[in-house]
Amino acid sequence: MDVLLSGQLLIAALVTGSIYALVAVGLNLIYGTMRMLNVAHGDLAMIGAYVAFWMFSLFGLSPFLSLFLAMALSALLAAIFYHFIFKRVMASSKLLDRAEANSLLVFFGIAVILQNGTAALFTTNPRGFQYLDQVLQIGNAAITANRLVTLILSLILVVAVVAFFRFTLVGLALRALIQNRTASQIVGINIERIFLYSFMLGFALSGLAGGLVSMYEQIWPFMGFPYTIAAFVIIILGGLGNLFGSLAAGMILGVLETFGIAITGPNFRSILIYGVLILVLLLRPQGLFGGKRVVAR
Amino acid sequence: MTSVFKELKGLNGVVALVLVAAVLFWPALASDYLIGFGILLLMWVAYTESWIVLSGLTGYFSFGHVVFAGLGGYLMAALWLVWPEEIEIAGVVIGGVQVWASMLVSAAAAAVLALVVGYPCLRVRGPYFVILTFGVAELVKFIVINIEAGLSKSGRLMLGGPDTYTLYYLMGSLALAAFLLAYFVSRSRFGAGLRAIREDEDAAETMGIPVTRYKLTAFVLSAIIPGVVGALYVLRGGYFEPLQVFDPKVSLTMICMAIMGGSDDARGPLFGVVFLSVLSEILWAKFPLIYQILVGLVLITFVLGAPDGIWGRIVQATRRRAAGAVAR
Amino acid sequence: MLLQTEGLEKRFGGVVAVRSVTLSVAANELVGIIGANGAGKTTLFAMIAGNQRPSAGTITFDGQRIDGLRPDMVSRRGIARTFQIVRPFSSLTVLENVEIGALFGTRQERSQTVARERSKAILDQVGLGNRADVLASDLTLAGRKRLEVARALATEPKILMLDEVLAGLTPTEVDEAVAMIRAVKSRFNLTIVMVEHVLRAVMQLCERIIVLHHGEKIAEGTPAQVSNDPAVISAYLGAKK
Repeated sequence: MDVLLSGQLLIAALVTGSIYALVAVGLNLIYGTMRMLNVAHGDLAMIGAYVAFWMFSLFGLSPFLSLFLAMALSALLAAIFYHFIFKRVMASSKLLDRAEANSLLVFFGIAVILQNGTAALFTTNPRGFQYLDQVLQIGNAAITANRLVTLILSLILVVAVVAFFRFTLVGLALRALIQNRTASQIVGINIERIFLYSFMLGFALSGLAGGLVSMYEQIWPFMGFPYTIAAFVIIILGGLGNLFGSLAAGMILGVLETFGIAITGPNFRSILIYGVLILVLLLRPQGLFGGKRVVAR
Repeated sequence: MTSVFKELKGLNGVVALVLVAAVLFWPALASDYLIGFGILLLMWVAYTESWIVLSGLTGYFSFGHVVFAGLGGYLMAALWLVWPEEIEIAGVVIGGVQVWASMLVSAAAAAVLALVVGYPCLRVRGPYFVILTFGVAELVKFIVINIEAGLSKSGRLMLGGPDTYTLYYLMGSLALAAFLLAYFVSRSRFGAGLRAIREDEDAAETMGIPVTRYKLTAFVLSAIIPGVVGALYVLRGGYFEPLQVFDPKVSLTMICMAIMGGSDDARGPLFGVVFLSVLSEILWAKFPLIYQILVGLVLITFVLGAPDGIWGRIVQATRRRAAGAVAR
Repeated sequence: MLLQTEGLEKRFGGVVAVRSVTLSVAANELVGIIGANGAGKTTLFAMIAGNQRPSAGTITFDGQRIDGLRPDMVSRRGIARTFQIVRPFSSLTVLENVEIGALFGTRQERSQTVARERSKAILDQVGLGNRADVLASDLTLAGRKRLEVARALATEPKILMLDEVLAGLTPTEVDEAVAMIRAVKSRFNLTIVMVEHVLRAVMQLCERIIVLHHGEKIAEGTPAQVSNDPAVISAYLGAKK
C-alpha cells in the first residue's frame, strides 16, 4: 500500500505514459491523414533505439545527439516506404477500395522485415548501455535522470506537436485533410505533400521515442511490438485523428499499466492492455474523446 | 460458368486425382522427416482453407484465428488424463478415446468461442475487426498462460499419443474436409451472399441478405476445423505450451498463405501453402531470419501486385486467353 | 393502398431531415418525389427500405407495419431500392450482381441455376444482356445504373424505389432510361416510386408527384397541378414579389 501511495509509482507511470503518448501521436498522425494502420510503428522505435545504442557504443555519442540521427533515419525510411509503396496504394483505385486492410498487410510485411533485418544484422541478444543514470530524489520518490529527461522531453514534444497542429497553417492543412480528404484537395491543399510529411513526422516521433527509451531499457529486435500495441490502444481510446486525445489516453494507459502491474503482477499487463483494447473497440469505438463512428451502423 | 472452368474441367479432375493419390501414398514413399513435413503441409491447408471461408469471402480479415487452434490444443492437453483409455458402445470396444473425444470437444468449443466472439466483433468493420480479433487471440493466450501459472503448470505432457502415420492421415482428413468446406461454400448460394457482403455490406443487406446471420455462420464454420487441427497438433510433439499453440505467427502465416495463393477460391490456398512451406523448408534451418524477411517482402509484393494471389493470376490469364479466342 | 407512411419523421441530433410526412402509393402507380437537395427525399427512401430507423411515425406495406425492420426483411417483403450513388458489387460480374438479387429477393431462390436464368432474362430486358460477364467495375455510369435497376428487379419486388437513377446521365441516356423504366414497369407489373431531379423526365413519366421541401410534404398532385402550385413555385424559385 505504501508503494501505491508513494510518488514512486506515479513518476514511473508518467514516464511510461509520456513515451506511450509520443509514440501514439505519431501513429495517430499517420492514421488520421492517410487512414493507414501502421503496425510497424513500434518497430521504428526499435530502430531509433538501435541508432542511439550504436552511436553511443561506437562513438560515445550522447543519445541526445543521436536522437536527431534516429529521427532522420526514421523519416528517411518513411520517405522511402511512401515513395515506393504507399503512393502506389493510394494511386490504384482497386487497392484503395480496401486500402485500410491492404495497408495493414503491407505494414506487417515492413514490420517483419525491420525486425528480422535488425536481428540478422545485430543478433537477437538484448543490449543496453548506461547513460545519465544517476538517481535523483523528488519528494519521497526516486527517479533516474535519464527517465526524468525522457518524461520532460516527451511531454514537451507531444505538446509541441499538438500546438503545431492547432496553431500553424500546416497544422490546419493537416486537420483539414484528416476531416475530409476530397474537400482538402478541392481547396488546393497538396495532399500528397501532406501525406509524405505526416508519414515522415509520425515515423520520426517513434524513432525519437525509441532513442529515449534506449537510455534506460534494454533493446532487442523485437522490442517494438508492445509499443505498437500500446499505441493502437491509445489512439483508439483517445479517438482516431484526435492528437490531444492521444496525449490524455497515453497518460491514462501509463497509469493503468503501472498501477495495474503493481497491484496484480507483471503477468497481467498483457491481459490488461488487450482487455482495454477489446472493450474500447466494442463499446466505444470512437474512443473516449473521439466523435466519429466506425461501427457498422 | 465462365470459360475458365470449362477449360480446366478435364484438367481439374486429373489434378484432383493426382493430389489425392499423392497425399494418400506419401507416407509409403517418404522418410519419417518428410512425413512430418507432410503433416505440417496438411495442417496449413486445413487452417488456410478454413480461414478463407470467413475472411476470403466476407473480407473480414481475422487476425486471431490461432485462438481456435490454441483452444483445441489446450483442451486436448487438459483432458488427456480425463478420458478413459477405451470405451464400449453397444458391445464394440473403441480405443483412442483420448484423441477423438478431445477432437469432438475441440470442435464444439471452437464453434462456441466463435459464436461468443463473433457476435460482438463482427459488428466492427475493416481494420478494426483485424485489430479486435488479434486482441482477442492475445487475450485468450495470456489468460491461458495465467491459468497455467496459477495451476503451477509450465507446459503439459501427453504420453501415449497416436503414431506419426495416424496423425498424418487424421490431419489429411481435416485438410480434405477444410478444402471441401471452402470449395462448396464458395460455390453455394451462401458463398455468393458472403461475397456480396464483402463487396458492399449495406447494399447486400438491401438486396435481402441477412448479413449478421451470414457473417456469424461463416465465422463459426471457419473456426471448427482449426480447433480440431490445434488439438491434433499438440499430439505431434506430445507437448502443450501456451506461447507455442497461441503464437500469433500462426495467424499471420495463414493470412500470408491465403493472400499469396488466392483467397477467393478453394484452390488458392493450396498454392500459397506449398509456396510458403517449400520456401520455409529451404531456408528455415539455416537462415530463419532471411526466411522471415523474404516472407515480408513477398507479402508486400503480393498485396501490391497480385492481391488475388497466384490462383487469381491463373484465372486472369485464362480469362484473357478465352476472351482472345472469342475475339478471333 | 400498397404503401403508406403516417407522420414519418427522422431526426439526426438537432436536425430534422424528414418532418411528419404522410403519403400513400397505390398499386401500379408511378409516383415521383421531387424537391431541392436536402429536402429529405433520400432519407425518406432509407426509412422505407429499412436502412434508417424512423424517429417517429409508421410505415405500412401491403397491410403490415414495416417501420424499424432490417433492410433484408423489407426487401424480402417486396420493396426494392436503388441507391443515389450506385453501389454495384464491383469485383463480381454483371450477371453475378443480378443473381444476388434473384437469390435473396422475395422469392428466396435456392437454386443458383434458376437464379442465373432469370438474371440473364432481366439483363436482356434492361439492355445489358451482352455484358453479362463483364466486371461491374468496368461498366460506364449509365451501365451501372442499369445494373442497379436490374439487380433490384431480380428481387421480384412489388414496389421499385429509384433514387435519382437519372442523375449524371446525358440527355440521350436520360431518354433511354425513361423508356427502360416504362418498359420495365409494364413488363414486370410494378409500382414505381422515383426520387428525381431531372424534372423533364419526372413530368413525362409520373402520374402523380409529391413535393418535399425542408423535410415536409408541401404539395401533391398531377404534374400539371404541381407545376402550378404556388407553394412549389415559391420553394423552387423563391417567393413571388
